[in-house]
Amino acid sequence: MKDWHDIGGVEELDRDGSLIARIGGRDVGVVATPDGPRAVRNRCPHQGGPLCLGTVAERLVGTPGHYRLGGTTVLRCPWHGWEFSVESGHCLDDPAQRVATYRVRVHDERVLVEA
Amino acid sequence: MIDTDIHVLIDPEQLLGYVDPAQREWFRSRGLGLGLPDCPWAHPVSWFRDDAEHETDGAPTTSVGAIQRQVLDAYSVDIGILNAADGLAIPLVASSYRALALAQAHNDWLREHYLDQDPRLRAGLVCPAQDPQAAAKEIRRCANDRRFAHVLLVGGSERPYGEPRYLPIFEAAAECGLPVAIHSGGEGCGIAASPGGAGPPAFYIEWHTQAVAGSIMAHLVSLLCHGMFERLPNLRILFMEGGIAWLPGILWRLDTNWRALRAEVPWLERKPSEVARDHVWFSTQPLEHTNGNDALFFEMLEAIGAPDILCFATDYPHWDFDDPQHVLGRLPESWRSQVMHGNAATLYGDRLGLVTA
Repeated sequence: MKDWHDIGGVEELDRDGSLIARIGGRDVGVVATPDGPRAVRNRCPHQGGPLCLGTVAERLVGTPGHYRLGGTTVLRCPWHGWEFSVESGHCLDDPAQRVATYRVRVHDERVLVEA
Repeated sequence: MIDTDIHVLIDPEQLLGYVDPAQREWFRSRGLGLGLPDCPWAHPVSWFRDDAEHETDGAPTTSVGAIQRQVLDAYSVDIGILNAADGLAIPLVASSYRALALAQAHNDWLREHYLDQDPRLRAGLVCPAQDPQAAAKEIRRCANDRRFAHVLLVGGSERPYGEPRYLPIFEAAAECGLPVAIHSGGEGCGIAASPGGAGPPAFYIEWHTQAVAGSIMAHLVSLLCHGMFERLPNLRILFMEGGIAWLPGILWRLDTNWRALRAEVPWLERKPSEVARDHVWFSTQPLEHTNGNDALFFEMLEAIGAPDILCFATDYPHWDFDDPQHVLGRLPESWRSQVMHGNAATLYGDRLGLVTA
């Protein structure tokens, strides 16, 4: 049965960029994004790297010779740079690879994850 | 487990303490890079894992503590072999005099700051390949310290390593019982030849795909064709970080050519792939993704003797690091013990100081 878990303070999230907690035997992380906090499992499906220690960035797109910011926020794995949608959890370059996402909300300056 | 490739970044202030005093100020005037050549191709984000150790200003760094925590202890590694990271470019420095000074300093610094700190550590010894006689002298200077497990050469070079000019390096290594590890990198940097034969690439992804594999292919073919293993029957080579998916193809291509062109290399009395089986090993990292074709991949590798010649490597702390559990999961079960430990134990012999039954 799912429940809401307090995994840290907003101040801590703003300072460190991520919060990580163990819930039900799994590492779950919240990362700060321009659209608010997003929660994903802290384990990259590629080789098991600590996904939530990666970088939140805007995905680059473009045409040959021209670079453009694509408007999609991705979480880039700190090990091999695979990029995951913070909304769906899919790897944008290999949609068969997906990380679990969780509902997250802020209440009284605390970050809560439903898991 | 034996990890054949853990990288070490130079600490410039520490290293300067080991440099020839008459050259120290020149190196200090070069700044933190110590005059080592830059690489024109840069990873778009970082050469290093984000969760590896970094200085407070964001510059990546390595330390014994980080290697212990993130590799040796984390994965229960029995032996970890340290290879220079930025120091790989020492043979690509224009001045062979500066290169020798840096190589000597790097070996002495590594000994005190890493090898003395953890008995599980061994290291590749750096030498100025642009001056093969000086390189041979440095190999002989360091070889008595058995914690130096192999001679370290870099993929980028002026000519392929089978050329006679490089013979003093391989002779010294063979005489001292040291394998020679040829680690990809530096292609097109400093005094190294331009990579690929079609001109310098534009992107890091091009360089990382074809240049770093290409130099390893070039050195493999050159060493075989020049008869280096016929000259030095006890020479062992470990090719590192050039990939392995291309290996069956290049060996079969070389064997095909040998049948027709043997008159040009008459000292090659056996098929080149058979000579390679006796003298050449390959590190596993980065183990190529096969888009669901792992069964075919391992079948092709088995055809060229891979179960006996692959040696596991993490390549910590680089971005294309291979996690040991991930590699174990992909390897055929019958290969695992050999690849993760046995093949390196055979390659290095008693150099690693492992207790054998």
